[in-house]
Amino acid sequence: MIETRDLWKTYEMGAEKVHALRGVSISIDKGEYVAIMGPSGSGKSTLMNLIGCLDTPTQGEYYLNSRKVSQMNDDELAAIRNREIGFVFQTFNLLPRATALHNVELPLIYNGTTGQDRRAKAMQALEKVDLGDRVTHKPSELSGGQRQRVAMARALVNDPSLLLADEPTGNLDSKTSIEIMKLIDELHRQGNTIIIVTHERDIARHAHRILSILDGQIAEDLTVPESQRNGVH
Amino acid sequence: MVVFSLFRIAVSALRAHRLRSGLTLLGVIIGVTSVMTIISALEGMAGAIEEDLARLGPSTFVVRHIIFITSDEMFWEKIKRKPIDYKAVELIENGCELCEKVCPRAYQSVTAKYRDQSLRDVFVTGATANYVDIVDFEVEQGRFHSFEDDLYRRPVVFIGDLVRETFFEGVDPIGREIKLGTNKYTVIGVAKKRGSMFGESQDDFVIIPLSAFSRQFGFPRRGLSIVVKAPTVEDLDEAMDQVRIILRAQRHVPYDKPDDFDMVTAESMLDLLNSLTKIFRLGLVGISSISVVVGGIVVMNIMMVSVTERTREIGIRKSVGAKRRHVLIQFMFEALMLTLSGGLLGIILGFLIAKSLVGMLDMQITPSALAIIAGLTISTGTGLVFGIYPALKAARMDPIKALSYE
Ligand SMILES: Nc1ncnc2c1ncn2[C@@H]1O[C@H](COP(=O)(O)OP(=O)(O)OP(=O)(O)O)[C@@H](O)[C@H]1O
Ligand SMILES: [Mg+2]
Repeated sequence: MIETRDLWKTYEMGAEKVHALRGVSISIDKGEYVAIMGPSGSGKSTLMNLIGCLDTPTQGEYYLNSRKVSQMNDDELAAIRNREIGFVFQTFNLLPRATALHNVELPLIYNGTTGQDRRAKAMQALEKVDLGDRVTHKPSELSGGQRQRVAMARALVNDPSLLLADEPTGNLDSKTSIEIMKLIDELHRQGNTIIIVTHERDIARHAHRILSILDGQIAEDLTVPESQRNGVH
Repeated sequence: MVVFSLFRIAVSALRAHRLRSGLTLLGVIIGVTSVMTIISALEGMAGAIEEDLARLGPSTFVVRHIIFITSDEMFWEKIKRKPIDYKAVELIENGCELCEKVCPRAYQSVTAKYRDQSLRDVFVTGATANYVDIVDFEVEQGRFHSFEDDLYRRPVVFIGDLVRETFFEGVDPIGREIKLGTNKYTVIGVAKKRGSMFGESQDDFVIIPLSAFSRQFGFPRRGLSIVVKAPTVEDLDEAMDQVRIILRAQRHVPYDKPDDFDMVTAESMLDLLNSLTKIFRLGLVGISSISVVVGGIVVMNIMMVSVTERTREIGIRKSVGAKRRHVLIQFMFEALMLTLSGGLLGIILGFLIAKSLVGMLDMQITPSALAIIAGLTISTGTGLVFGIYPALKAARMDPIKALSYE
């Protein structure tokens, strides 16, 4: 489902070049549950942004569902983000003035889903994350965990084939983190492909496979034995 | 439709930033108001002149305390002038041998009523019976009022076609009673349809005997205007001189001072109209370019601030799949809504200002199609031209950079 070949991402900082990724080749199948780990600055977010089609590599190829994404233009990438990918961020990235419902409706607006249909789908997604009773709340009127669940509802609303989460629990306390991870586990059980970036071993052990990244390169690719997994699978 | 959703997003963004939207509006309002004022005022003056022009013969001229103004010095001098009174009419009738016909007129706007129907802003002219001989309009039905009607102050009225159509569709109007303001008048005749000019009807007038007019309205606030006919075109200059001498004497104008009244012939009105049109075009081009720049800079400035301030929002929208055009359209809608509503307010405000300006000259003014079209075009143009850069900037943002913007 995901296939990258020798991905490079280089930032030019004046005269200096920062290689955030140095030749990453990975392949992830449909239905997998993968965690990406690594120290701060190792390139985890950079890789996630590439996988999530938010950014394009400086060099190398990326195939998503057998389509070559690495050379697509802005609008083609936007269409892929809209249909194929649900992205959850550490900082939630919700529109502060909009209600939970409107935030969840957002991806639907851009693929032309209208009226009743849009509302119904957004409601359904909010119910899936157990927020059916908070639809008219604005982000400031919700707790951190609830905000992240709104963000997850938004990520799910278009039935994407891929769910990406960059440190989804990074801004949450441990109890709320467990809630969110339960939700992610549940989504995996329902057949979603999931990639999650985390610092924490406990969180990573929810996944079935752990990719370790070091200085922009894959250092280790481990399968987590069933006995060592966290959560219910 | 995606576009409809984007429109709604734009509306709520404008609502959320009321102060900013208001400031932007102000920029556009100022621009459009100035354009509107100029166009409406000039059009109002030119229109009034054209109307008379169309109906005067070549050996005719009009005398009034103010007919036209071509510079602002004249404006302040002319608005202080005394109106022409009945005494002047009498003096001209008796003292001007080359004045074959002398016809004083007075104007007033009223609401006309017939049974339960009413028509607002009907233009009432009070005139003597010879008006119909001098001014060219055709009688469709019935007759114009006679010398006796005027002498005995009979409440009779000759109506324009719009008035007939409004009140008497399918009925014979002759002999029916309509109300002009507070008084009742019997319809004695109907004018032939004149059609419309600049999208305004020329048929919303009624004419009553001058004596009946004075009885109802007293001495007209706007004074009288006198239409004078000389026997032939060759006598015109001579006749005008005679009138000039009579009026200067009556109004005690010192010999070294210019006339304190205006006199025009059809020909001189035509000249004036041409020069007004020229001024009008120049002024229009000048003022609209200034207003476009002023309004446009405000719009662009504020849209830039808005785009920068909402960088994260743009990042969020793009991250969930908004394409460039979605973001572009959203911000263009915002700019256009601002400039268009500013434009509409400017049109209204400009018209009101022009109305009070022209009102000081005792002339009539109606909203002109040209001015409204110009106002709308300018405001839409401003929105499009000055909104496109900020909107493009928003549309081209890189999602990752936008999301990490603090
Ligand atoms: N826009 C940018 N311009 C320049 N350098 C950048 C940019 N974005 C990231 N980098 C650099 O690329 C490297 C990888 O960054 P990245 O954000 O992917 O790290 P990370 O593994 O997600 O770290 P963290 O765990 O702190 O989130 C870092 O050295 C960072 O400084
Ligand atoms: Mg990171």
